[in-house]
Amino acid sequence: MTPLAELARSARIVVCCGSGGVGKTSTAAAVALWAAEHGRRTCVLTIDPARRLAQALGLDLLSNSPRPVKAKGLPARGPGSLDAMMLDMRRTFDEVIERYARDADQADRILANRFYQRLSSTLAGTQEYMAMEKLYELHESQRYDLLVVDTPPTRSALDFLDAPDNLNELLDARAFRLLIAPAQRIGRGYLRGLNLATTAMTKMVRRVTGSELLAEVGEFFAAFEGMYDGFKERAGLVYDQLKHPSTAFVVVATPDGAALREAAYFAGRLAADRMPLGALVVNRIHQAGPVPPVPAAARKRLRADGADGRLLADLLELHDGLETLAAAEQRRVRDLLDRVPNLGVVQVPLLSDDVHDVAGLRRLGAHLFA
Amino acid sequence: MLEVLEQARLLVVTGKGGTGKTTVAAGLAVAAAGRGRRVLVAEVEGRQGLAGLFGRAALDHREARVAEGVHALAVDPDESLREYLARYGFAPLARLLSWAHLNRFITAAAPGLGDVLLVGKVWEAATREERPGSGAYDLVVLDAPPTGRVVPFLRAPETVAELARVGPIRNQADRVRDLLDDPGRTAVVLTCLPEELPVTETLEGVAALREAGLPVAGVVANQVTGDQLGGRAGRLAGLARDPGPLAGAAAAAGAELDRAALGTLVGEARDRQRQVTRERRLLKELRAGLDGLPLVELPSLADGAGGPDEVRALAGHLVAA
Ligand SMILES: Nc1ncnc2c1ncn2[C@@H]1O[C@H](COP(=O)(O)OP(=O)(O)OP(=O)(O)O)[C@@H](O)[C@H]1O
Ligand SMILES: Nc1ncnc2c1ncn2[C@@H]1O[C@H](COP(=O)(O)OP(=O)(O)O)[C@@H](O)[C@H]1O
Ligand SMILES: [Mg+2]
Ligand SMILES: [Mg+2]
Repeated sequence: MTPLAELARSARIVVCCGSGGVGKTSTAAAVALWAAEHGRRTCVLTIDPARRLAQALGLDLLSNSPRPVKAKGLPARGPGSLDAMMLDMRRTFDEVIERYARDADQADRILANRFYQRLSSTLAGTQEYMAMEKLYELHESQRYDLLVVDTPPTRSALDFLDAPDNLNELLDARAFRLLIAPAQRIGRGYLRGLNLATTAMTKMVRRVTGSELLAEVGEFFAAFEGMYDGFKERAGLVYDQLKHPSTAFVVVATPDGAALREAAYFAGRLAADRMPLGALVVNRIHQAGPVPPVPAAARKRLRADGADGRLLADLLELHDGLETLAAAEQRRVRDLLDRVPNLGVVQVPLLSDDVHDVAGLRRLGAHLFA
Repeated sequence: MLEVLEQARLLVVTGKGGTGKTTVAAGLAVAAAGRGRRVLVAEVEGRQGLAGLFGRAALDHREARVAEGVHALAVDPDESLREYLARYGFAPLARLLSWAHLNRFITAAAPGLGDVLLVGKVWEAATREERPGSGAYDLVVLDAPPTGRVVPFLRAPETVAELARVGPIRNQADRVRDLLDDPGRTAVVLTCLPEELPVTETLEGVAALREAGLPVAGVVANQVTGDQLGGRAGRLAGLARDPGPLAGAAAAAGAELDRAALGTLVGEARDRQRQVTRERRLLKELRAGLDGLPLVELPSLADGAGGPDEVRALAGHLVAA
């Protein structure tokens, strides 16, 4: 049983992390499918599936809540089931505001605010934060045995862990007030130098953004009053859940230097935060089969010996290239394992087709769980 | 690519994340230097991606010579924002609040301000020759943000200046725009992989750049699997069923390869050929979508592309293309 099979059977939350394009979305979907087929009520929360994979999972519907995946061969009823949803960060943010606002009026004021709109749709980290909010909501609902979470295509896998803190710090109105309040609103206790600096800041921001936006920022924080603590509290709860032994992080990487380095950073960070690292998936590896060495003299004779000989010589050369590539990849994987001991590794070969439907997910699963 | 390498003043390299922007930017810089030009290659995301490619541990805001005819520069976004804010008499407040917080506030309230500074620096280096003084370059190669962010990045000075009809901000924005919009001086190159998502994103990127009036000069398809077999690939299916002809050739040449080994060789070649076919199909789609725009292919290097040797190899391919 691979380390992933153990996770898919027993974990409550599996989070797939890694740098962009390595196969996080595919791995998350394949893990969820496998778990569903092994009797668990599973939901995969995906972020950016390729168009065809989204269609295959029935995700072309615009909905921000889980829907059952309909595909041949999936258990039609119990015990296992597979739901999927694609995260719409803007809608998730709106829902969070609606759910936790004091009343409809407060929610409306926030939702209509221009600064909020910019914050909720463009600010780096918001997507990660909203993935966590959604995760929290689904986890609380207890509808599932297992939640598999895909993470956004950020440049760094660490962004996922840092997002809640970053956003919380941003939403902390006290610091904001200090930053943008007109000089007279700052109490007498403050240094004169600060007043001056604040005025300069106000001027600068006004100049750069237009004063209108500055007013919107102020209004946002006025409207947001009272909600900050709830945000902070939930972020703390999600963090605790992520630290819980029933959660497992699966780090996905390709066998190239950059992706593996990123994976090592991430593993180190998880360890430092006492978060449970479940396994490393090295996706898209190359493998060379066993072929006895053929000496140069024999190769030379092959080249001199008609079309079949030349073809065989070329096949040998291709094999050599593949061996070199596979060896270089394995060297890089070993280097990583030297730095991160006790890490369960699953290697998945480069498949001869993209992973864009349930059959593709099963093929990927065959390697993930073999 | 040759024309661009010899004539452009500013070469902007963008592309989907992970497709080889940094590697190709380094390769283009070395290739242009090989044609006798004085080149500066600059990165702007504070990621130290260029350093290793030139065998360095790190680069910073000082322009350092990293290869024959090539200088490199890592424009530090935090540092340049700090400098800018200090100029506005903002330093005292910066000391009271955490820098991270401040930076996030600026990014949220005034996205683009940081980018203005980065683009400004690149513009300054690319146009130094027009002003008296030393340290001028013939070409600046920019390892730019990925396709999804590159238009707002390059247009940041314009966006910010929309609020200022006159004054220094407006002035600089106009001059940056003059450089960026001039196909005689600026060329945008996109990197791509022969895979589905990168091909789609490249075509969207080209459309977005053109829409914004930026001069797109070509696409580099990176990490393309070489096709060593050509037409002979058609024989592989038959040889998989019956490797007899290969066994005969092996015996005649004294190569000790049994049927299992021959089967492995044919199987590996078929896998590779499937990959080649898939990549060809995607590159054809890409070429059709590019509608005449130059498309250059770079091979996939077996050992990865982590250092100066590989960069030189890729530069060689870029010059030949
Ligand atoms: N032609 C090539 N052959 C083999 N490996 C390559 C080649 N080009 C790039 N690579 C490898 O691919 C990975 C990504 O390349 P690179 O860092 O240049 O991409 P990037 O577009 O700058 O990425 P990012 O979006 O993260 O900045 C690196 O590990 C690099 O060594
Ligand atoms: N083992 C594999 N073999 C072949 N293609 C793969 C493999 N794993 C992933 N892919 C393909 O690579 C692309 C990127 O995968 P994806 O899961 O979307 O990555 P991420 O979510 O990390 O950005 C997709 O087109 C997917 O089908
Ligand atoms: Mg993804
Ligand atoms: Mg890069």
